[in-house]
Amino acid sequence: MAANKIERDEILRIVRDSLSDILEIEPDTISEGQSFVDDLDADSLALIELVESLEEQVGERAPDFRIEDEDLEDLKTVRDAVDYVFENAND
Amino acid sequence: MLPVALDVMGGDLGPRPNLAGAHAAVADGIPVVLVGPSDLDGRDGPSGTLDLIVASEVIGMHDDPAGGVRKKKDSTLVRAAEAVRDGRASAMISAGNTGATMASALLRMGRIKGVKRPAIATPIPVPGSTPTVLLDAGANAEVQAEWLVQFGQMGSIFAHHRFGIENPRVGLLSIGEEATKGDSLRKETNELLAATPGINFIGNVEGRDIMGTDVDVVVTDGFTGNVVLKTLEGGMKTVISALLGAFDAPEYKEHADALMPALLPLYSSLSPDTYGGAILLGVDGVCIISHGSSSADAIRNGIGVARDMVEHDITAEITAAIAATRD
Repeated sequence: MAANKIERDEILRIVRDSLSDILEIEPDTISEGQSFVDDLDADSLALIELVESLEEQVGERAPDFRIEDEDLEDLKTVRDAVDYVFENAND
Repeated sequence: MLPVALDVMGGDLGPRPNLAGAHAAVADGIPVVLVGPSDLDGRDGPSGTLDLIVASEVIGMHDDPAGGVRKKKDSTLVRAAEAVRDGRASAMISAGNTGATMASALLRMGRIKGVKRPAIATPIPVPGSTPTVLLDAGANAEVQAEWLVQFGQMGSIFAHHRFGIENPRVGLLSIGEEATKGDSLRKETNELLAATPGINFIGNVEGRDIMGTDVDVVVTDGFTGNVVLKTLEGGMKTVISALLGAFDAPEYKEHADALMPALLPLYSSLSPDTYGGAILLGVDGVCIISHGSSSADAIRNGIGVARDMVEHDITAEITAAIAATRD
């Protein structure tokens, strides 16, 4: 598993690029401390778009990776999402 | 052309009106593929045996839209949207859960590049004239000025192809005609719309203008748009019921019978069934959202609208318009 480990920086890049596509904003304007709802104006559908995008992209490296629906409400910031993917894609 | 994918389980009335509408559309020469369970009854009918894409699940009218799409991957709505994405259907139509229809289309067909948010565009009947296109009718409760400008662009393209209106007049719904009227969002949007090329922006309009003949496309946020839509629907229903009730009195029967030939076409022009439903603009494909209580006629008309929008390649035109204003 160690050989296939996805680095945290790479996950941050994937999250930023996905959010940039979905919200039509520049990736550079997205920082880890930002809240999806309060700072980035993401609505529930945009968050589901993000989840599906992450599952697809991370799933190419970690085929069993999935974001569980019951975990979604804990993912409030960009950092939360990056940490979640880092822990669950590499376990 | 590729068939229009019909969510046969969508709507309050079950598969029956969907099946009847599908058979009628096929008889009109429009190819249709049903999306529904393998044991579906009613595929055989006056137009022959309708093709079927099998889907074993249904997202109910009260299911959470995004959650439903996530959990029910073999649902009729998800499969219909995938059929469009995968090139097996040219468009999708459903009378089912509006939010889930939108989520299915957005998550499976995707968004047009550059579109901030998709919007639901609904034709509002105008007696004796072409309908007014109202958007957003409920997709986005909260919006930003830039999104409203895009709604104006997309609604304008739809009004042109759907109703043959050259250079549709676009109005921003507010509480007064002057550009300075309204909240900060409307004032900012008014300025942006006026500065956007390619939109025939006529300024602010008021609620009373929606069913009039001075505006073709009315732009607003989804919260306000949905309130407007439901208020108009309820108001028209009440007025029509009151009229019919008044005509019911025995002493007026003779007069009512004489007036009916004039009133019935008017009634038809005010019926939501005539226009076949709303369209979700901004997704990468044609998605028609029909009323939950759609009749067979409404489904038939909705399939016809889907065909027309595919033939006009409205998706490509919106893509080009959005790209032109981004550059």
